[in-house]
Amino acid sequence: MNVKVPTDLDLCAQEPIRIPGGIQPHGALIVLDAGLATILQASANAPEFLGFDAKAGATLDSGPLAAALTALRANAAGDPFLKPIEIGGKCLLVSAHGTAQGVIVEFEETDPDILASNPYPRMQRFVDRIESSQDIDNVLAEAAREVRDLTGFNRVMIYRFDADWNGTVIAEDGDGVLPSYLDLRFPATDIPAQARELYLLNRLRLIPSSSYEPVPIEPATSPVDGARLDLSDAALRSVSPIHLEYMRNMGTGASMSISLVVDGALWGLISCHNRNPMEVDARIRAACEFLGRIVGHQIAFHERRRESADRLALKRVETELVSHLARTPVFQEGLVARSQQWLKLTNAEGAAVITEGMVLTTGQVPPSDRIKDLARWLQGMDVDRVFATRELGKHWSAGRTIADVASGVVAVPISQRHASFIMWFRPELKHTVKWGGEPAKTVDDRAMRISPRTSFEIWKETVRGRAVPWSRAELHSAEDFRQSVVDLVLQRAEERAEMTEELQRSNKELEAFSYSISHDLRAPFRHIAGYAQLLKEEEPSLKDLSRHYIEGISQAAVTAGQLVDDLLQFSQLGRTGLKMSRIDMNKVVEEIQRGLSHEMEGRRIEWKVEEDLPVAWGDPSLVRQAMFNLVENAVKYSRDSDPAIITIAGSRNADGATRYSVADNGVGFDMTYVGKLFQVFQRLHHSDEFDGTGIGLALTKRIVDRHGGSISAEGTLGKGAMFTIELPDRRGENERGKLETDPAG
Amino acid sequence: MASLRPILLVEDNPADIELTVAALRKTNIANEIVIARDGVEALDYIFCEGDHAARDGEQPAVILLDLKLPKVDGIEVLEKVKSHPRHRNIPIVMLTSSREETDVVRSYEQGVNSFVVKPVDFNAFFEAIRNLGLVWAVLNEPYPGGR
Repeated sequence: MNVKVPTDLDLCAQEPIRIPGGIQPHGALIVLDAGLATILQASANAPEFLGFDAKAGATLDSGPLAAALTALRANAAGDPFLKPIEIGGKCLLVSAHGTAQGVIVEFEETDPDILASNPYPRMQRFVDRIESSQDIDNVLAEAAREVRDLTGFNRVMIYRFDADWNGTVIAEDGDGVLPSYLDLRFPATDIPAQARELYLLNRLRLIPSSSYEPVPIEPATSPVDGARLDLSDAALRSVSPIHLEYMRNMGTGASMSISLVVDGALWGLISCHNRNPMEVDARIRAACEFLGRIVGHQIAFHERRRESADRLALKRVETELVSHLARTPVFQEGLVARSQQWLKLTNAEGAAVITEGMVLTTGQVPPSDRIKDLARWLQGMDVDRVFATRELGKHWSAGRTIADVASGVVAVPISQRHASFIMWFRPELKHTVKWGGEPAKTVDDRAMRISPRTSFEIWKETVRGRAVPWSRAELHSAEDFRQSVVDLVLQRAEERAEMTEELQRSNKELEAFSYSISHDLRAPFRHIAGYAQLLKEEEPSLKDLSRHYIEGISQAAVTAGQLVDDLLQFSQLGRTGLKMSRIDMNKVVEEIQRGLSHEMEGRRIEWKVEEDLPVAWGDPSLVRQAMFNLVENAVKYSRDSDPAIITIAGSRNADGATRYSVADNGVGFDMTYVGKLFQVFQRLHHSDEFDGTGIGLALTKRIVDRHGGSISAEGTLGKGAMFTIELPDRRGENERGKLETDPAG
Repeated sequence: MASLRPILLVEDNPADIELTVAALRKTNIANEIVIARDGVEALDYIFCEGDHAARDGEQPAVILLDLKLPKVDGIEVLEKVKSHPRHRNIPIVMLTSSREETDVVRSYEQGVNSFVVKPVDFNAFFEAIRNLGLVWAVLNEPYPGGR
């Protein structure tokens, strides 16, 4: 035997399968010159098969092939030739095709009964059945059943290629003699590229026996070009011994495969197996090939329909989700609230939204820090509209650590300036796939270097770090959704801008209003007080009661004027900027004590002021005002305590914030009302007991708020109260300001 | 002692006029008090124009100027006086109800000599007026260039 084939599995992909140098023994092959007069090459079994000395150099003018030659000459060039012709007393099916190396004529024995049967009514019924099918799975199941009916194979399966040429068994029909391979996966290497190319050219291959001995072509090289005979289109072409080994390891004696071609590309195979060797008549094979073509068209039709149906369904999900988001003030939260729809948009297992460093997620997702890393990496990638991968680790090496949940990623940017993305995740494929038919391990299996089990294991390695690919519909859906969200965010921004404008306008109005209050409302109170005073002085002989009344009038006017002043100061606080600097709080307290000397006249007050109050950072006049209000209150509300004890303490937190507390042993307050303390005009005491405008604590709180600090109060009725303010460390701001204004420093 | 130069009070509110005059009088300030009811009147007086064209042109000892005035407001009056070479040394005290910081800043930018927010409390008001009167009308020597 002069057929040379590689046996090393690694060389499988380089195997010269088009020029194997031999044919399968179930037929014979001769190569004729263009004039159909002389045999150029012939399979070694041709003389025996054809019953005459059919060897290279033989001329064919007369003899057993005369009828075949006549038919061949009558056949228009280029048309496929397939005819039953009686040769040497046998009914042979003759097929022929022209090549650069001559006309290749193949002979196979055929059964006259099959010849007599007409396969077309059967085909018609099949077409009717699959055309009424609503989905592709049904079509494929029908196809598997029909092929098994036509051929009698023990098992017929439909095998589908993925984007990487790995295969999956997606439909199957069998009689139970061979095990089920449904859901079995095969790595791309199982059917190498050159084999797939041949499958496109030659739509049907038959191997009647997995243990055949190839019949050599003689001579091995063509006299036309000196090259080995190209058997690409020959039905009898001998196949790779590795393939035969695989078949034997699968426990199959015969196999046949029919290509499923969709839109010019190999989509899958109808793969048939029999335990024992078996022949399939050429006419049946022709019917099967035809069936394969029909199924290919049906697949194309269903895939298009499915894609548009998918897109429609996803569009519906998107529309619902977007209309929900439009009603949610914060769209990120809207997404989380509608997790199911969010995931459904791309049929993902997990999703995340990253905006301004905030990560919100649903489903199976990587840790937030990894998601942030991914967002940063994507930002650097300058993604235009959609980034999609089924193998993140291939693009971003750090992605390998999160392959289990995020092998598949779709990310859409939703901001031009920030690393803000909406992302969807799909887990690694091997985590999601099980081969239902995987048989228990046996010693035999392990001895086999190639077998379905090995294939499945290799496939698992192949898809490590990979997810189910994203469909076109899913990617469209992600892109459309991105646009909707961007529009929504933009719309929000516009609304916000409008609102800001509105606010600025009303702020201006408010400012004008308070100005006029300041000027116009204050004047009458001043006049009342002034006239009352003048009256008192003009009439020194007034009765005591009258004098008391006048006194009341001026007092009321002064209080009203004070109220206006306080209100103005309160409203002004929100509008003016803070002038930050260092504040010596001990000095502030001393000043406050001096300022309150009038109120303290005739009272015994025991001051317990910490000597080293921490230095505060803030607007000096405002912080002084805040402290003043607290100390003034302490003095005022401890009026009836003798002695009054006022304690002022301070401390610095670990984060640099400073706390100051002012405590007294005065009337205190009921903690039930603590929430009302800091509201404007809320008073916990009757105004006839303690005077005041009810603005002081509200003002203090507002000052503290403006500094980003906090205020709290504790009190017990009749025992005293303690107020604590905390001011954050804002030294940095001052230093920055200093740098700007003092270049020399 | 030279004759006392007048005090010019620019104020539109009659109550404020009455109270300010009363307060000034209570301090025993003997200066004549000239009253202008709006910015135009004040400028006419200072620059000897309009109704005051026939005036002898003696500069007031001090101008007590309300911020908010009809026709021409206090800031404008301040601007005109302070930008005039002959009159810019007349002491001007802004007398106003407003506590608005912006007003304070604006007034000082124009070179106002003093700024007094009229206190509601009449005693405080009286104190303020009395101090003003003493400082500007009595103690202040007139600028040598003026008459």
